[in-house]
Amino acid sequence: MKTDDLIRHLSANATPVRRLPPAWAQAAQWLLVALFSVALVVLLVSPRPDLAVKLGEMRFLIEEGAAFATAVTAAMAAFCLATPGHSRKLALLPAVPLALWFTSLGLDCLRAWLAFGWKAFQVELDWVCLPAIAMVGAVPALAIVAMLRRGAPLAPRMTVMLGGLAAAAIGDFGLRLFHPQDAGLTVLIWQFGSVLLFSALAGWSGHFFLRWRHVRLAG
Amino acid sequence: MRSAQDGDAAAFASLLREVTPLLRRKVLRKGWARHPQNAEDIVQEILLSVHTARATYDPERPFLPWLMAIARNRMADAARRDARQAAYEVAVEHLPEIRSEADQHAVLCRWDDQEQLRKAIHQLPPAQRQAIELLKLREMSMKEARAATGISIAALKVSVHRAIKALGALLDKEAWR
Repeated sequence: MKTDDLIRHLSANATPVRRLPPAWAQAAQWLLVALFSVALVVLLVSPRPDLAVKLGEMRFLIEEGAAFATAVTAAMAAFCLATPGHSRKLALLPAVPLALWFTSLGLDCLRAWLAFGWKAFQVELDWVCLPAIAMVGAVPALAIVAMLRRGAPLAPRMTVMLGGLAAAAIGDFGLRLFHPQDAGLTVLIWQFGSVLLFSALAGWSGHFFLRWRHVRLAG
Repeated sequence: MRSAQDGDAAAFASLLREVTPLLRRKVLRKGWARHPQNAEDIVQEILLSVHTARATYDPERPFLPWLMAIARNRMADAARRDARQAAYEVAVEHLPEIRSEADQHAVLCRWDDQEQLRKAIHQLPPAQRQAIELLKLREMSMKEARAATGISIAALKVSVHRAIKALGALLDKEAWR
């Protein structure tokens, strides 16, 4: 097909489209959906009995704050990458809260080691974290994938990985509101590890979810 | 672009016509000048993607960075596709000699002297001799020959091919004596 003919076909198919909101507005819309779904799951499963006490602990607040900030910045970065014209460097947005989250968990491991020695490194098997994060993060994950598919698949793997990180981080944020597990090393391996695993899986499947879907040209 | 988002076909056509030479130059500068047809295909892919992603354009932001981000992405995809294809292509200077069934039959029929043919077949290595006897003299099908010998069809085909080639050489040598 000649380029002039293609332009004729494309302009004939140029039906009105609804402009996508800016990335920050899309991230805000997603956050509303995600928070509503997480709150619903936490209420259905019932919050942990010591939640009021935990909300007074600085370490718990820092880790929950870092998980929440990771989710927000990862969502923001994912929506930026799906909008042409934004710098790819924005993919680094969640690096700071992610580092803060990891550092807080790491410091807790260090404190436990100083207090109990090598006994502190006896890892509890807490398999429930993996499916629990998947359960709490399922609706946010579906929502963010559906929203990202409306954008441009410029960097499918990175975009979906950031979307997965956002969903998994908000999933872990919710998990800690009903799952009474605070041992630094256990949280680091089973919760932080699950978040990284889900993000990696999401990135691996990026091309499956995001690809150019061009208009079918008749004739 | 704002008009195109609102469904103004004429404005969209005019925009695409205006950006096409720019995109063409960009694609050619990126090393696709050696393949003008490929370059035009990439330009068309970019135009298709601009059409697909037109909802992502924010009128508050400049148009060219938006367009060039799509162009760079499509050019990178094309380069990856090109590299993948190049990895699977093998430059062949001499094509291998492949004889068709008819050619193989012609080699055997070329020689009227059945006794000479029989002697030549006896000089073949056992696997090739067996393949010729079953497939050409007893006219078995490949499946029947496989069932009779337990040798795979691929291996039988190779043996027949080599046997025909060897027979041709042997019989030609006899003819010169």
